[in-house]
Amino acid sequence: MKSTVPERNAEEKGAPRLYRVPKYVWVTIGITLLTPLLHVIGMSNDLVNVSLIYLFPILVSAVYWGLGPAIYAASLSVIMFDFFFVPPNLSFTVADLRYIFSFVVYLAVAVLTATLSSRLRQQLEMVRQREATTNSLYALSRQMTAVADLDTLLHHIAKQVSHTLGTQAAVYLPDTHGELKVTASADEQGTAVWGGEESEIAIAKWVYRNGETAGKGSSSLRESSGLYVPLRTEDQIHGVLAVRMEASDIQEQREQLQLLEACGGLSASAIARVKLAEEARVAQMTAESERIRTALLDSVSHELRTPLTTIIGSATGLIENDAIFTPEDRKELTGNIRDGAMRMNRLVTNLLGMVKLESGMLQLRRKWCDVGDMISVVLTQVREFSKHRSIRVDLPDQPLFICGDEVLLEQVLINVVSNAIKYSPDYSEIVITFTRDERNAKLNIVVADTGVGIPDADRERIFEKFYRSESSRHITGTGLGLAICKGIVEVHGGTIRAESNPGGGTRMSICLPMEAPEALFPYRGQGEVE
Amino acid sequence: MTASQGARILVVDDEPQIRKLLKVTLQAHQFEIHECGDGDEAVTQASIVHPDLIILDLGLPGMSGMDVLHRVREWSQVPIIVLTAKEREEDKIAALDGGADDYVTKPFGMGELVARIRVALRHVARTTDEPVLRFGSLTVDLAQRQVELDGLPIKLTPTEYDMLKVLASNAGKIITQRQLLQQVWGGHHHESDSHYLRVYVGHLRKKLKEDPTQPRFIQTEPGIGYRFLLQD
Repeated sequence: MKSTVPERNAEEKGAPRLYRVPKYVWVTIGITLLTPLLHVIGMSNDLVNVSLIYLFPILVSAVYWGLGPAIYAASLSVIMFDFFFVPPNLSFTVADLRYIFSFVVYLAVAVLTATLSSRLRQQLEMVRQREATTNSLYALSRQMTAVADLDTLLHHIAKQVSHTLGTQAAVYLPDTHGELKVTASADEQGTAVWGGEESEIAIAKWVYRNGETAGKGSSSLRESSGLYVPLRTEDQIHGVLAVRMEASDIQEQREQLQLLEACGGLSASAIARVKLAEEARVAQMTAESERIRTALLDSVSHELRTPLTTIIGSATGLIENDAIFTPEDRKELTGNIRDGAMRMNRLVTNLLGMVKLESGMLQLRRKWCDVGDMISVVLTQVREFSKHRSIRVDLPDQPLFICGDEVLLEQVLINVVSNAIKYSPDYSEIVITFTRDERNAKLNIVVADTGVGIPDADRERIFEKFYRSESSRHITGTGLGLAICKGIVEVHGGTIRAESNPGGGTRMSICLPMEAPEALFPYRGQGEVE
Repeated sequence: MTASQGARILVVDDEPQIRKLLKVTLQAHQFEIHECGDGDEAVTQASIVHPDLIILDLGLPGMSGMDVLHRVREWSQVPIIVLTAKEREEDKIAALDGGADDYVTKPFGMGELVARIRVALRHVARTTDEPVLRFGSLTVDLAQRQVELDGLPIKLTPTEYDMLKVLASNAGKIITQRQLLQQVWGGHHHESDSHYLRVYVGHLRKKLKEDPTQPRFIQTEPGIGYRFLLQD
């Protein structure tokens, strides 16, 4: 239904001569063929019926092609009728002068019928066009409500308007400096750029400033090639919608103007809606970042101050009262300094990791990693504070390889294993199990402890930034570690979740795809002799 | 350890506090310390004081640490240990492949730094190639191409042996994946072949009876390469 509009437009305006010739040829051929046919079926003497049959091509022409071809058909019919049927035959001479009168009546009937039927046709056409317009406006509005980002929306508008009006369309919006620019444009194929010329932008700017329609078919700046309507909602002009105006007929121009104004209204409200949504999103983000900033401040100030206090206290103590300390005291104090600094280092690492994840600066450097290698690095890192815990690692006999970012995956394991250590009592066992899910090419890592466990209600929330379970407030932490883990696991296309350990405590379960979409493990046999 | 006694070390770092820290602690370890705060001066100093080792911060203002590294490497093979505050693995790899001998990530423990310095100095001091390398229970006889673990010979494929040879003769020093590929496979390797490396290291570890979670000999430096551990 949509496509009828441009086709018809092309027929009416685009190439009139090309399209009109066949109509007249058809009329001529039809009437020329009708004449011998009437002779063959032997109606040549029944003049009344012959004249009625000659009305047939006239009506057909009127209904299908309009007034011009109808009058042409009438004239040709009269000539044929006169020449071949009215005595004397094969001559334009009319023996009985009454026939002249019937010719006139005949012509009059033909013209009248043609006018009536062509008007009917026009009305039908208009109804069709309205339907098409309504359809395309409906399509426009439906498309616009579905789109949430401004660029896509503008592109849709340009495409749809160009489609609806069968001409090139352009949308002008002010840029960040308030300068009006072509932000989207389209022709019927959805390509091309119109409206970028200086004169066109100048008109668009005038329309934007004055909030009035301008261009060909409107009341101002009629000599320009395009038609420009402001995109206006109640209190604001968002931009300008323009089409290249090809219609020369006043009536057609008026229709196009109406259509364009309708499109403009729709587009304006859609743009306003998107802008509002954007503002709302920004506001929400501001609120969220406000909340996070407060949490960050609370957490960081506490987490930074505690180790700083021990560092400064121990260091000043050593400097100022060096003599009073025994060697053991001194060792204790310097140990304090080291532990405090280590703790701050962990915090800074986590904060930086979070910033990297959040800012999208995190780039995966996927490589094939030996899982055994990774866990050995992890254990080396956590060894210094895993005293009095036994850590058991269950690895399959076959070496396990996973395509991922080695450093990041190690960070995940370090965080999860450190948590298991932190929240479990001395002399308890932590079990790290790696299993391969061959069928789905997944690696399952379970880190199980027998510690305090996580309340059901917090199982999801512990992965949120800065969230700390009420039940473990007494244990220091920033609430960043698991959020980072989740982020890293998710960029690898995996999942991480907390479960309760059947024997008490927590089971952190990480599931990672072992192969990257484009990388299958290319291991070939050694083929070497020992 | 005698090789490192009195060695002259040039410390290049733009942070006075870190220079001071290094100076005090390294002097306490009997090293002779020269220091400078920027890249241009570092290049000049390196040619004047003829240090036995350079500790170079990669994040210098002005002429970067990488530039200093390249400039010094044009005429000197002096061991260089880079300090990097960045957690970007590719910087470390670039420095190591660009001629640095080892790296230490800030913040670092002094024990770690001193150990790295000693290893680097020792590799320079070693004039005659020992035909037999011993690491606790492991013996690598380079002349006979024989490897023994706990007194029992172990069978290695030629590739595994070559890898062990490269790692063991650089004991204590970091070997990047690329260096290892180059020295074992020669020019016939591709950057993306590093997973073969992992597979071979896996096999080698198995034959050395390593506990994959706590290796005694071959330690993985995540994202960078391997380090053959010195046995205490």
